[in-house]
Amino acid sequence: MKFTLNIWRQKGPDERGRLVTYEARDVSSGMSFLEMLDSVNQGLIAKGEEPVAFEQDCREGICGSCSLVINGIPHGPDRGITTCQLYMRRFPDGAVITIEPWRARAFPIIKDLVVDRRALDRIMQAGGYISVHTGGAVDGNVLLISKDQAETAMDAAACIGCGACVAACKNASPALFVGAKVSHLALLPQGKPERTSRVKAMLEAVDREGFGSCGNQNECEAVCPKRISVRFIATLNREYLWSGVVESGLPAEPESPHAESA
Amino acid sequence: MALPSNHFRSSVGSKVVMALSGLGLVIYVILHMLGNLQVFQGSHAFNGYAVFLRDMPILLWTARIGLLSLAAFHIVLAIQLTLRNRHARPVAYAVREYRQASFSSRTMAASGFVLLFFIIFHLFHLTADMIDPSSVDRLDVEGHRDVYGKLVHAFQNPFIMALYLAGQLGLGLHLNHAVTSSLQTLGFEYVAFNRLFKAAGPTVALVVVLGNVAIILAVFLGIVHG
Ligand code: HEM
Ligand code: SF4
Ligand code: FES
Repeated sequence: MKFTLNIWRQKGPDERGRLVTYEARDVSSGMSFLEMLDSVNQGLIAKGEEPVAFEQDCREGICGSCSLVINGIPHGPDRGITTCQLYMRRFPDGAVITIEPWRARAFPIIKDLVVDRRALDRIMQAGGYISVHTGGAVDGNVLLISKDQAETAMDAAACIGCGACVAACKNASPALFVGAKVSHLALLPQGKPERTSRVKAMLEAVDREGFGSCGNQNECEAVCPKRISVRFIATLNREYLWSGVVESGLPAEPESPHAESA
Repeated sequence: MALPSNHFRSSVGSKVVMALSGLGLVIYVILHMLGNLQVFQGSHAFNGYAVFLRDMPILLWTARIGLLSLAAFHIVLAIQLTLRNRHARPVAYAVREYRQASFSSRTMAASGFVLLFFIIFHLFHLTADMIDPSSVDRLDVEGHRDVYGKLVHAFQNPFIMALYLAGQLGLGLHLNHAVTSSLQTLGFEYVAFNRLFKAAGPTVALVVVLGNVAIILAVFLGIVHG
């Protein structure tokens, strides 16, 4: 198979980037999308050119490292998978494929297709954890959690933090990511004690990082490789509203913003 | 730091205020449409309805001030959030494909502005009587202000009619997304009801627009006449 690739090339964070056209020849239909890029890079290296930088790690859809907006859709044309799980047989022979990085102010480009997604880590550091010491793993069924609750928490916990939701959103909002994290912790007994402070701290971090606000357009849900449901955005909003009701009137508590995001 | 005022300054808080003020306006738009459907009952009923409204100046002005402040909250926050959202993606995608985000959800700021200009025009036109010099404030046979006659006169003019239809297009697009969206913003989500919530926006939009368009076209086509 043969493809024409328009790839975003950008030397560094402060450089101007542009789309550069490459020909990918001798691509086998069984190659994954990233293997196809590897072979293009081999060609570039052989010619003495700079290879295209892109992120990847597990190549099996679990780590959330790979990104890429492929023909205008984060993680490409198939639903419910990451870019590393996409195969070239999905494209017609001779297709033109445009490859761009995640685009958001909060995700500055490091090089070519690699963006800095630490803004998501800083949102997690603001509150996406439980601070009680739980000791060793408890025996199964010591903490009774209903089946529904456990399943819903698990659905939310499937988020791999790839940031495709931000990339797909017209407003570059991370509402689906934050919704997944807040919901999964709020649903389980271990997460309940810090429920109200968590949601506030995480949403404050979202605003600090320069993300946009959720317009409930639900494009995120359609590109999420883990098919996280937008119901968790509603849960996030509900948690936030509730935290306002529960904590208003309580004495102010000094809370320092996380150093890294200052 | 836990003061509610601070709570509403965050972007999710702003959205909540937008959703609440927007829903307040939605309720008004529905009542406004239902009230105006009385043109189909003839000039007696319609002018009587106008008298009924104007006979309660306290209620009328409370409603006007309430609506104005709802609109002010809604519009100021809409502009603030829209600017914030534009700012959040400085470099646009060269190729962009939407899978699920509806056209109306992606054009809320545009349809909102169409609405804003339409509302201003509408107020100058029928509330303040400052647009159409050929329209005169007459009294009907019962000595009431002839609002019915004014309305019929207005929509017989094809330009005015076209402007009002354009306003309805903006309203329909805005409401189609707005009502469903506001439910999600306010945290409503329950597996058994989610389809109902999804249908709420298109349903409200359809009902309101059909009602309003029926009035406009009925006059223009001569079904309702002076
Ligand atoms: C007059 C000018 C108006 C402007 C500029 C405007 C603008 C907007 C914008 C930009 C949004 C989307 C916010 C977002 O997605 O982040 C929105 C949402 C909304 N608008 Fe308006 N709007 C206007 C009038 C109205 C009117 C007249 C109504 C009611 C009939 C209305 C009802 C709503 C509702 C219910 C929402 C949903 C809020 C949410 O997403 O939670 N708007 N408006
Ligand atoms: S919600 Fe989905 S798209 Fe967003 S970061 Fe998590 S896995 Fe990726
Ligand atoms: S490389 Fe790990 S999810 Fe794609």
